[in-house]
Amino acid sequence: MKLSKTRRAVFAGLVLLFALPLFVAAQSGEIVLKWPCIWVGKDSKAPAIAEIVAAFNAANAGKIRVEIEPQPDYNAYEQKVRTAIMAGMAPGDIFTLKLNASTKDFYTSKLLLDFNEDLTGDWRKSFDAGAVTQSTIRGKLKTLPFETAILPIWYNGDLMKKAGVAKIPATMDELWAAMDKMKAAGMYPSSQMSGDTNAWTSMIWFSWFAVSNGGPDVWDKPFTDKAFVDAAKTIKRIFESYTTPDAIGAGAGVSGGHFLAGRTVIFSNGPWYAGRADLKATSFFPSITIAPVPSTGGYKNILISRLQANIAAGATADKARHDAIIKFLKFLTNKPNMARLAEVSGGMYAVNSGFVPKDNELQKQFYDMANKGYETAADLEAALGAEATLEFTQQLSALALGKITPEQFCGLVEKKIDR
Amino acid sequence: MTKKKGANHPWIIVYMLPLAVFFTAFFIFPLVFNVSTSMMKWKGGGEMTWNNFANYGKLFQDDTFLLSMKNNVIWALSQGFIQIPLATIVALILARNPRGWKLMRTIYFLPNVISTVAIAKVWTALYNPQFGVINGILKSLGLGGARNWLGDMSTALPAIILMTVIYIGYFMIIILASIMNIPKELYEAAEIDGATKMQQEFRITIPMIRGTLATAITLAMAYGMRHFETTYLMTGGGPAYSTSTMGIALYLKMDALRYGEASAAGIILILLGTLVIVAIRRALGKSDPMTEAAQ
Repeated sequence: MKLSKTRRAVFAGLVLLFALPLFVAAQSGEIVLKWPCIWVGKDSKAPAIAEIVAAFNAANAGKIRVEIEPQPDYNAYEQKVRTAIMAGMAPGDIFTLKLNASTKDFYTSKLLLDFNEDLTGDWRKSFDAGAVTQSTIRGKLKTLPFETAILPIWYNGDLMKKAGVAKIPATMDELWAAMDKMKAAGMYPSSQMSGDTNAWTSMIWFSWFAVSNGGPDVWDKPFTDKAFVDAAKTIKRIFESYTTPDAIGAGAGVSGGHFLAGRTVIFSNGPWYAGRADLKATSFFPSITIAPVPSTGGYKNILISRLQANIAAGATADKARHDAIIKFLKFLTNKPNMARLAEVSGGMYAVNSGFVPKDNELQKQFYDMANKGYETAADLEAALGAEATLEFTQQLSALALGKITPEQFCGLVEKKIDR
Repeated sequence: MTKKKGANHPWIIVYMLPLAVFFTAFFIFPLVFNVSTSMMKWKGGGEMTWNNFANYGKLFQDDTFLLSMKNNVIWALSQGFIQIPLATIVALILARNPRGWKLMRTIYFLPNVISTVAIAKVWTALYNPQFGVINGILKSLGLGGARNWLGDMSTALPAIILMTVIYIGYFMIIILASIMNIPKELYEAAEIDGATKMQQEFRITIPMIRGTLATAITLAMAYGMRHFETTYLMTGGGPAYSTSTMGIALYLKMDALRYGEASAAGIILILLGTLVIVAIRRALGKSDPMTEAAQ
């Protein structure tokens, strides 16, 4: 088959058009780092992340370029990361991971870069030492702690006043009495849920109860331990008497929606929720107060906290690429950038940036609570992993409906814990 | 000039090759891979180690997985023996061309072109104990208060099965098309013989569309066996696994990074699905009178 001169010219032009950028990139020696990133679109971190990446690219023009691959859906992002690792590929040069008892298995993968040799000197000192220890598994540091969270409970101050509750309950007796007053005033005292894969809101409450009953190391005990059985009794009581009728089976959207709509007085979530525009738009936003859940057992002043997002990188034998990854991560986690990120997003981070919130009172409360020097303990999901958390979630409905006893509930969850 | 039988064989192979390659790459290979990983301990990140049939053993000892299997069979039966009879009744009525039948046909089919997510969200709202329309109607009739339809272990599964009735339009269209192909002379002759409309339906229409009904029931049951989306969106398999299906169990195993067990669940789903479909084909396996008539 013979091509006409014109066709040959068009064909050659097209080949050049597509091949030229590749040729130029190869000749220039520019290293392109792919970052499948969740902090895009409407995410509260998106503007700061975009600024940081743009600044890095400008400073390293022609040498290193970081390309963000937007992944705005949290679940889809996690699935992408898991599927890629499972299929034997790193999800990107840089990516994030929720480190918990299930995902720690990824530390056995050779696809992930071990930061142990790179995280030294001042860079290491800039990270919260406890968070680095939590991210180190069997001597390997295959993810860097990045976003952290404390998970207190939130009180709608306006509704509390209306119900005649004058102060934040400090003991469980005071909490029960306050919730009785809220009920008497026609309010639903607390947002609870037993849906999704982690019963997020209620899982936080349960974690507080379990830790205050059994101490910060409670997750090492069998789930049939009295600390958990008593925690199950307490959460059952809340479901039976102090929450909305749709709590059983409800997801995080429903649970949070009740609080946002002013239908519930008490809620539980992390600091990122404080940055939500729809929360800031409520009339009661300035009245919100956060506090620890009153202790139900012998342990007090232990905050429930977690590593919300860790940063991982694809392992590479190419030294130049490895150095480029480290250079970018050092830039990302430097003090000014982390302070900017904290300011814009309302989140909390494992890098000590010296940031102190000024304008957002709720965010300030989170920082104050975190800086009080409380001992911290992990929540159930972070400590026991996905399968045990799923069982907790599913059986929480049966517990709340009275189909199983707290002892049976704990026995069922224990069966799913991979020790 | 007559060609020898089979003279086109080389071309048949050429024509089939792309599909064969595609089918091998995207069905046969994943299936073989799935079978092998179902006999491995594999958590995604680390080593894959053989554990023979341990994953299967674990699943069969798991009450919640057995409940999911039971729910799958319930789904298959409900799709085959609730949806198809309803679709048949509607098709029989519309086949008589009542006024506005074309509009009704479109309305019945409409849910099949609307996003499953949207429909699931709407029905979740309808079932809401506080603000749902269903409780509102029942309350106005004095028939109860704030029942949490999707949060109660005894009502969650029936509530979701009930909502899938809105999908009867798909099979209604298939059955209606089949009815439309029945020769009109048969009905004319029956009328001359004094047969009532009801007798015509039972003695002519139903027997004549038997083959289509068998196919529709098989397809509906196959859809039932692989049921996932609506339930996952509405309840996530809860409360307490009461609405879980094998598809959901498989997904949740993957979510918990239990890939070996998830693969085993997938293989069991394929085997159970095949068993149910073969059984139903055998039970309904008589030949199609329409096809016989055509021959």
